[in-house]
Amino acid sequence: MEAEAAKYIGAGLATLGMIGSAIGVGNIFANFLNGALRNPSAAGSQVGNLFVGAALAEALGILAFVLGILILNA
Amino acid sequence: MADPIEQFEVHPIPGLEFGEVAVPFLGVQQIAVTNSHVAMTIAFALVVLFLTAVTSGAKVVPGRLQSAGETLFSMIDGVTDSIIGHEGRKYFPFVFTLFTLILGMNILGMFLTFTATSQLAVTITFAVLTILLVIGIGILKHGLGFFLLFWPSSAPLVLRPVVGAIEFLSFLLRPVTLALRLFGNMLGGHVALKIFAGFVVSLGAMAFAGEGLGLWALPIAALSMTMVVALTALEFLVAFLQAFVFAVLATIYLNDVVNLGHGH
Amino acid sequence: MLISTQTDTMAAPEKSDATGGTYATTTEAESGGLPQFDTSVWAGQIVYLLFLFFVLYLLIAKVFAPRLRRVMDERATTISTAVATARSVQAEAATQAAAAKAEVEQARADSRRMAAEAKARVAAEAEARRQAEEAEVNARIEAAEAQIAVTRDAAMTNVSTIAADTAQAIVQRLTGKPATAAEAAAAVKGAV
Repeated sequence: MEAEAAKYIGAGLATLGMIGSAIGVGNIFANFLNGALRNPSAAGSQVGNLFVGAALAEALGILAFVLGILILNA
Repeated sequence: MADPIEQFEVHPIPGLEFGEVAVPFLGVQQIAVTNSHVAMTIAFALVVLFLTAVTSGAKVVPGRLQSAGETLFSMIDGVTDSIIGHEGRKYFPFVFTLFTLILGMNILGMFLTFTATSQLAVTITFAVLTILLVIGIGILKHGLGFFLLFWPSSAPLVLRPVVGAIEFLSFLLRPVTLALRLFGNMLGGHVALKIFAGFVVSLGAMAFAGEGLGLWALPIAALSMTMVVALTALEFLVAFLQAFVFAVLATIYLNDVVNLGHGH
Repeated sequence: MLISTQTDTMAAPEKSDATGGTYATTTEAESGGLPQFDTSVWAGQIVYLLFLFFVLYLLIAKVFAPRLRRVMDERATTISTAVATARSVQAEAATQAAAAKAEVEQARADSRRMAAEAKARVAAEAEARRQAEEAEVNARIEAAEAQIAVTRDAAMTNVSTIAADTAQAIVQRLTGKPATAAEAAAAVKGAV
């Protein structure tokens, strides 16, 4: 196998890490909605926490993306 | 199709190049006014203009512009106040500067061809600045007690070195994730926008030239166009959200050292 | 600025053109990927961004934030004073309403008392008038009765005289002999 082909395959594999991040972000929003529908009056105050949590979970997916880009350009 | 990452290239503005200079760690550096500088300047000027317009004629009963500015202001004020506590006001200007500057650059990226916050150099600067401030405040306030940040007093004694090492590692990763989150979001969003916009053009050209898919390319081009519109809306949301998230995370990291030992 | 001009003058124009051209081609050929990883343009951006950040920080810390905070504090005090004023006005209105209510009650009691008084007075007057009239009527009745009695008495005496006369006449006619007046009177008295 050529090194170039391996690079592309590796980059593609690295982006698989986004799956976990996607599940995490989905989990966060699902649970937020769950809680918000149970207690709508408290939901508004937790939107900030929601986005921070989503951003933290998303960061790992972005790490995977950046890793893929790095491998692609290595 | 147009190269989707061409938009991230930093060109010197013609006539404003001043040669090169060698710098440690970074190697040979171009000294020039680039399109990145122009974008940063415009964002900075817009932020200053906006804040001037908001505050110069500030009235007790706010107008439209003033309430928009006050919304941003009280949002960040609420973040620093609720996370750091009564000392939050001291750190408010820093967080607000971070927020407005990043927001300005993000939003401007939706209108210009160049996004300053999609430059790794820019996001790393923001992240390193934040983390250096955190370390500086920690050492100024607590001296060597700053390193208690990595010493988990609630963990069992045997596990403490291990947990401490992990804490230290995660602290080292903070600037990395801070920089890469903003960078990755901006990069990814703009690449996706450019790719879908490129689809519209190339598929349309294909349809009119009668090659490849022929007229069947038109519905796909229309679909790509809707994607562009939807992604543009999403990118505006992301532009705001990433600025906010950066500000919130900076506040959380500041809080770790400002209220070291008590709380949490 | 000085250094840059020096380097500019040091590097011949054709040479800088050549380096720039080769530079661009090498970066494109070498990585072919993200331009962001080209560190040759980092220092300029970092220094400039730090400068902008510092200026904006100073502006926000010294000018914008205090201005906005002042306005917002002013608004907070305005709102709190307005609320306090409204609350005091409300309290005042409540006391006034209570006073008005008491006044109305008072007035109602007064009018009720006055009405009762007037009623009592009118009733007393009517009673007095009625009594006076009654007394007058009674007096008149008594006078009339007395007159009636006098008349009746007079009539009665006339009756006995007439009866005696009648008796005398009847006796004379029957017996042909006149009865005395005294006898007739005695006989009438016994009959009447």
